[in-house]
Amino acid sequence: MQVKSEIAGSVWKIIAETGADIAADDVIVILESMKMEIPLVAPKAGKLKEIHVSEGDMVGEGQLIATLD
Amino acid sequence: MSWDKDIDEIKQRRTLAKQQGGEEAVKLHHDKGRLTIRERVDTLLDKNSFDEVGEGAGVPEYDDEGKLKDFQPANFVLGFGQIDGRKVIVGGEDFTVRGGSPNPAGLRKSVYTEKLALQYKVPLIRLHEGGGGSVGGTNKEKNRRPLGEPVFSQSRFVPLAQTLSAVPVASAALGPVAGLPAARLVASHFTVMTQNAAVLIAGPQVVKRALGHDMTKEELGGPQVHLSSGAIDNLAEDEADAMAQIRRFLSFLPDNAWHYPEKLPCTDKADRCEDSLADIVPTNRRQPFQMRKIIEAVVDRDGDGSSFFEMSRKYGPSLITGLARLDGESVGIIGNDCMYYAGAMTAAAAQKLRRFADFCNSFNLPIVSFVDEPGFMIGPDSEQAGTIRHGTAAISAVLQSRVPWASVQVLKAFGVAAQAHFGPDGYVLSWPSAASGALPVEGGVAVAFAREIAAAEDPAARQKELEDMLAASQSPFPRAEGLSVHEIIDPRETRPKLISWLRLAVAAMQTQPPVPYMTGMRP
Repeated sequence: MQVKSEIAGSVWKIIAETGADIAADDVIVILESMKMEIPLVAPKAGKLKEIHVSEGDMVGEGQLIATLD
Repeated sequence: MSWDKDIDEIKQRRTLAKQQGGEEAVKLHHDKGRLTIRERVDTLLDKNSFDEVGEGAGVPEYDDEGKLKDFQPANFVLGFGQIDGRKVIVGGEDFTVRGGSPNPAGLRKSVYTEKLALQYKVPLIRLHEGGGGSVGGTNKEKNRRPLGEPVFSQSRFVPLAQTLSAVPVASAALGPVAGLPAARLVASHFTVMTQNAAVLIAGPQVVKRALGHDMTKEELGGPQVHLSSGAIDNLAEDEADAMAQIRRFLSFLPDNAWHYPEKLPCTDKADRCEDSLADIVPTNRRQPFQMRKIIEAVVDRDGDGSSFFEMSRKYGPSLITGLARLDGESVGIIGNDCMYYAGAMTAAAAQKLRRFADFCNSFNLPIVSFVDEPGFMIGPDSEQAGTIRHGTAAISAVLQSRVPWASVQVLKAFGVAAQAHFGPDGYVLSWPSAASGALPVEGGVAVAFAREIAAAEDPAARQKELEDMLAASQSPFPRAEGLSVHEIIDPRETRPKLISWLRLAVAAMQTQPPVPYMTGMRP
């Protein structure tokens, strides 16, 4: 399952680790947008297969951030 | 001599009409996981309350002896019925006959729907699945020259537009909906679509020929497109859920614009104070919070849940809009969602707000606004989207409101866009977390004091010092001292304070008879 950002901003912190089992609503990364820290959470439980961004990256609306298995 | 033969034929015609497009067509429809229009009407309405209009409209077929052999019904089913004991009118295409593309009787019935709603002033529900006109026309007779409508006839869009100022209109897309049915679908106060529905101006083949895009119906107009395009308000899990959402939507509204919404008995305490509200807003302004939790804590509880019914969540998501009960009264709710661009007003959020404010005014719903507005969305995309014009139109709609307004300033109220959250003669409560001004300190200081900061020995320290100083000036306490808000309150008191106001405001509003809401042009 693809987890996409619904907002534009930058990647402030990566919270979850690749390969980890995460629960629904667990925070994967925190984005910074309009001077606020906005968590991007897992829409459902699963294994975090890949995080496609690095801290400091700019992201756009609809951009792929992580892949869940 | 008697009329028995004719009476029998009436019965026979009714039976044949109920067969819709025939056994095979109905099975094909069911196999797609869809209900027929008659099943939809039954799911929507109170049991056995459907009172059909024009059941006998259609085309009969006779055998050689002049005996009725078959009957193709109008492929638009129309009638009155009840929802929670209240009269409504409902209509929808029969997809099992010609894929819902209108046959002549179907077209007549469909264009009559809005006229009936206007004549009897009852809420209107349309259950859409069908295409628009065909290039071949609605009449399949060969060699018939298309005469068109008489030049003096009234356009069907006249009653379609008039209904929006007269009666609540809710529509569902329950399959492919294209052309005229798509236009009728969105001429509504509330629209809902199922997962397997698609809403299209024109279908894939037409699009491919004209533009070269090779796309499916769902890619062109599925829920993932239209929930965020704003054409559709809500997604339904299935058809039963779509009907349930329509019933719920209508439960908040009066029958028409000449009545006030009904106050229901309320089991939730008017003086209920929610402890969770005291610290729901983080003191660190970089940290977001859940505005929906605030809304749900304040409005009436409904069983185990909240009475809050959200609409258009995916469109302009930095603004929350929905209906709720407060002290048993129907109210419109708006709130900023800081999870999206800090709650900033985008072009889409502004259009959503304008539409919602007009809707509440159309049916005399008081509005309660939970404010955390950092301002209009900034940047090149926002400029390109014409946010300034849409935002100014939203502000005009808010400030031309005739319904009672209350605003709870939860956190930010900055810039021009803040105006969109405070109605005329509104009741204003401020939480201790509130901050107001021309620009949020975080963004404004670095710009306004750029030279001073650059010239300082320690620029970062100077910037912080200025920010702290200015943040203090944005505090709500001086505003309460100057009566620029009615009260600064403990957040826990929000519900009781709003209810005290609402009782006064509704009583005052209802001293005047309600009349339809008409406005002029907006920016």
